[in-house]
Amino acid sequence: MKIPPFKEINPPKNGYWINPKTKETYGGQYISPLLIPNLQKVEKCFEKAIKDKKFMRELEEKLLTFIGVNTPLLRSKELEEIAGGQKKVGKIYLKRTDLHHDSSHKPVNSFSSCYMAKHIFKAKKIICETGASMHSRSVAAACAMLEMDCEVHIGAVDAEKVSLNKDISELYGAKIVVVHESTKSLLPAMASALRSWQSNPDAMYVVGSVAGPSPYPRMVRTWASVIGRIAKQQFKQITGKVPSTLFCVCGGGSNLMSMAYPLLKDKTEIFAVESAGEGIPTGRHGATILGGSKMGILLGFKSKVVMKSAQIAESLTEASGLDFAAVGPEVAYLHDIRRIKFRSTTDMEAKKTFLMCCEKLGIVPAIEACYVINAALKEIKKRKNPRENHLIHLCGSGESNVNRMIKFKRENE
Amino acid sequence: MNKNFQEMFAKAKQEKRGSLIGFATGMDPNYKTSKKILIEMSKHCGAVEVGIPFNTSTSDSSTIMDANMRAIKAGANTEKIFKLIKEVKSKIKNNVPFLIMTYMNPVYRYSIKKFAKKCKTSNVDGLIIVDSNNNSPEDKELSKELKKINVAYVKLVAPTNNEAFIKETLKKCSSWIYVVSYAGLTGSKQVNLGNVKKISKLIRKNSKIPIGVGFGIRTKSDVSKVIKIADATIVGSGIVDIVGKNAKNHNLTKKIGSYLKNLKKGLNK
Repeated sequence: MKIPPFKEINPPKNGYWINPKTKETYGGQYISPLLIPNLQKVEKCFEKAIKDKKFMRELEEKLLTFIGVNTPLLRSKELEEIAGGQKKVGKIYLKRTDLHHDSSHKPVNSFSSCYMAKHIFKAKKIICETGASMHSRSVAAACAMLEMDCEVHIGAVDAEKVSLNKDISELYGAKIVVVHESTKSLLPAMASALRSWQSNPDAMYVVGSVAGPSPYPRMVRTWASVIGRIAKQQFKQITGKVPSTLFCVCGGGSNLMSMAYPLLKDKTEIFAVESAGEGIPTGRHGATILGGSKMGILLGFKSKVVMKSAQIAESLTEASGLDFAAVGPEVAYLHDIRRIKFRSTTDMEAKKTFLMCCEKLGIVPAIEACYVINAALKEIKKRKNPRENHLIHLCGSGESNVNRMIKFKRENE
Repeated sequence: MNKNFQEMFAKAKQEKRGSLIGFATGMDPNYKTSKKILIEMSKHCGAVEVGIPFNTSTSDSSTIMDANMRAIKAGANTEKIFKLIKEVKSKIKNNVPFLIMTYMNPVYRYSIKKFAKKCKTSNVDGLIIVDSNNNSPEDKELSKELKKINVAYVKLVAPTNNEAFIKETLKKCSSWIYVVSYAGLTGSKQVNLGNVKKISKLIRKNSKIPIGVGFGIRTKSDVSKVIKIADATIVGSGIVDIVGKNAKNHNLTKKIGSYLKNLKKGLNK
C-alpha cells in the first residue's frame, strides 16, 4: 500500500490564515523571544522533511508497519438502521482509526513529529502535553522506539480520569509532570509544556493538536492528514465518489483536520462536533465555536477562544480530549469562511452513545468519538437523503474510559 | 525616550549607580494591599513594573503564576489595574516611572488603540508584552500607538536570540531593552552573567539604549554583579514571593521595603 501524497491546498501566509473578506488573521507566533529560534528551527526541519524523499519513504514505511495507518472503512448497517434505514438516509461508513497502534488518531502526528525530531531536528528529548493521554501515549511509544527522552505534561484532573493511558505512557518510559495550575486540564498542561521548553531549548516540543505557535498548526495537520488521504482513497474505491458528508469531533481540531484537510476542495459537507457538556446554555461545556468564543491570543496563537473578560475560560466536558477552550487557527478560519459547519453533543448524549456502540456495534469507542457519532446520527436523520454516503471518524478506542463508563452503566440500569 | 525613564537613567548616571526596577502583580493579593505594596516599591525602586495577570501565561514560574491566580481571584482585570496605577501615581510624590507587564491577550481584548490611550490617561510610562512578536499585526499597531503618546515600548531579548533578531527588536524598542539572563522561566534559576555580557555586547554594538537585566536576580550580590554590566536590574519573583508568603501579614509592606532597601545597596557602579 502506498500513502497518497500530501498536497498543500490551504497554505497559511507568514504563519496566518487570512479571511479574504474580513481580513481577520488566524495563527501567528505569539511567544517569548526565547523560543523564536526554536520555532524557526522546527519550521526549517519540517520544510526539509517533507521535501526529503528518503525521509518521507522511511517515515511512511513506519506509519504503515508500526502505527498501522491502513485501517479499514467499516460500513455500519447498525448505525444506518438507528438513523432510519439505508433506504431513507443512505450509507454510513466508520473510519476505524481506533485500530491504530495506541488506539487513536494521535500516533500519526506524534510519530511523524518525533521521527523528524530524531533525524532532522536532532533532538534527544521530546516535551509534550496531553489531555486524554492518547497523545502522550503515542509520543512516549515513538520516543521508546526512537530512543529519545520523553517528558509529558498532564493536568491533574485528566491524570485521574484517564489513568490507563497515563500509566501506559509511563511504561513506555515517559517522565510524567502533573500540572496543578488553573483548570488542571489540557490548557494549563500545554502552557506548562511550553514553559518547560523554554528551560530546555535543545529539546523538541511535540504538539498534539493543530494549535500552538506557527509552524505547529500547519505541521500537525500535514502529518495527521495521512489519515484523511487514505480514507478518501478508500471511500472512492468503495463508493466511487468522495463522501457526501464527513463528521469529526473537535476539541482543538487535530482529529477534524486529519480527516477534513484532504477533502477541503471537494464537495463533501464537513461537520465538526463539539462537546456541549451539560448543555451550552448552562455555561458548563467544552464548545468553543458554538459556546460564545471570541478572537483571542493564547499559547502562541490567535484564534477563537472562550474567555471570561481577558482570561481563558474553563472548559467543562466529560471528554478529556475535548477539554480545550480554543480551536486551532486553521479550524477557526475554515469555520469563518463557512467551509466547516459545527454541531454539538451533550455529555449525557455521548455517554448513552458509548453504551449503544458497545451493545449494538461491538466496539468500545473513545468517549470523544461518541460525541461525533451522536451528532452525525441526528444530522443524517434530518437530511433523509438515501443517495448520500456518510463518513464518520471513529477516532479512538475507549479502554481508558471503561472505569467511568461501567460506573455510568450500572448507575443507570 | 519617555521623560520619566530618561530622568531615571540620567539621575542614576549622575550618581554613578544602576537602577532597580521592581515587579509585582497588580491586585496581588487584593486591590487595597497591592496599592500599599506599589507605593512602598516606588519609595525604593527607580521604576515599578506592574503585572496584569493572565491565567494562561507561557513564561512565568509557579511563583508568578500563583500571584496571577491570587489577583484574578481578587477580581483583577485590565481596567482595575489601570485604575490602581493611576491612584498610586497620584499618591506618590516623585516621578518614578510605572510600566505594565502582561501578555498580548489582555491588550488585544481591551483593544490596542484603547489600551494605548488608557496608558496615557493612567500615567503609565511603559509597556512590556512577554509574548509579542515583532512581526505580528498587533505588535505593529501597538508600537505605532505607543510611539504617538511617548509611552516606552520595552522589548525582550534572550540568550537564544542572534544579532539579526536583536537588531530587529531594537528598531521597535524604546526607552530601554529587557535582557532575559537565561533560557528558562522567571525566577527559576540563578542569573547567568555570561549570557548577560554576551547579549549586552551585541546590543551596545548596535545601539546606545539603556539595558535592563531580569530573570534570576534576587540578592544584593546578584544586583551588584548585574549592575557592573547593565544600566538597570529587574527583580520580580523575590518580591512576589514575599507577597505570597505574607499576604495576610500586617508587616507585608515593611518586609518588601527592607528587602528592596537591601537590594539597593548593590546598585553602586
